Amino acid sequence: MSAGTFSPEVREALQRLILSLADTKRMLGIRYSDWLLGAPSIESGIATASMSQDEWGHARLLYAMLKDFGVDPVEIEHSRPPGAYCSAACLDEPFADWAAVVAGIVVVDGTLSLALEGFASGAYDAARRRIPKMLAEEAFHRDFGHAWIRRISAGTDEGRERLAAAVEPMLADAITCLLPDDEEAGLLAGAGLTAPARAARTRLARRLAEPLSGLGTAPATDPPLPADWISSRRRPAGEPAGDAVERARGDRNRALFVE
Amino acid sequence: MEEAVYDVFARKRRSEPLRHIGYVDAIDDALARVYAWKTYDEENWFEMCVVRRSHIIPVNRIDGPYAARATGRLGRRPGAGR
Repeated sequence: MSAGTFSPEVREALQRLILSLADTKRMLGIRYSDWLLGAPSIESGIATASMSQDEWGHARLLYAMLKDFGVDPVEIEHSRPPGAYCSAACLDEPFADWAAVVAGIVVVDGTLSLALEGFASGAYDAARRRIPKMLAEEAFHRDFGHAWIRRISAGTDEGRERLAAAVEPMLADAITCLLPDDEEAGLLAGAGLTAPARAARTRLARRLAEPLSGLGTAPATDPPLPADWISSRRRPAGEPAGDAVERARGDRNRALFVE
Repeated sequence: MEEAVYDVFARKRRSEPLRHIGYVDAIDDALARVYAWKTYDEENWFEMCVVRRSHIIPVNRIDGPYAARATGRLGRRPGAGR
């Protein structure tokens, strides 16, 4: 089904879903790019660079879907202030260390992929066509993250502690922002556009149980909506750091745009 | 945990033979797969494989980089380029 076949309420919710997924992809790409040269080995840095580019490519494909809603994706990509971004809050600031990068790959990228799987299986044609290729590329992100989480889990106490400290808040935020269990999510699931939030969260818990087992923590996958939740942005109050948004928008290259 | 050298083989078409395109250092097979795919992604590969260099059995030489089993040396030669 195309966007025009849905009711105005569903169309509005669908547009917000797409923007949330696209903005999270874009900010995740920025956060990976922060670590291109600080990774533990040349190979892991190259993989991180490639994942960063994957995320930006995926973001661009998702932004392009907004044309179906009469929205200009170029304006959306290059002109919004930080306060208009709908990305997951755990990406507002850079990852503090490599353990946090690994947590981001497993938890944030993993939750994002699960949300995209539900979207690709739904009734919106553009998602059914465009998302499967993204998910094929994401399989390498998952393998990379899971291999690294096994490596850290089998290492020192300090490594495990740093990883666990990064995972816990990230997991709560990623689930809240990417698999929200609110009225609008119910509207989208009811229209056959996404999987119901409860089912998606249960699936995520099963998927993350093995990679997180080495940390001695089971994922708490039913976080409540925070008090400062903003439905229109599908995230709590706050915004990505200004320098990250400047990079995302390409502010310094604006005079060179050829689009 | 020590990293091992994995040699990377790939082909662009089904009709081509696999050829050696480079190597990566990785701590295990899972990371070697990812590193190879992400490092050598300049082509749209039909097939890519990695093999741990120490698993290659040399046939006629024991002084090359693939002679780890024969000589007991692991990993790449000091100073060897990529």
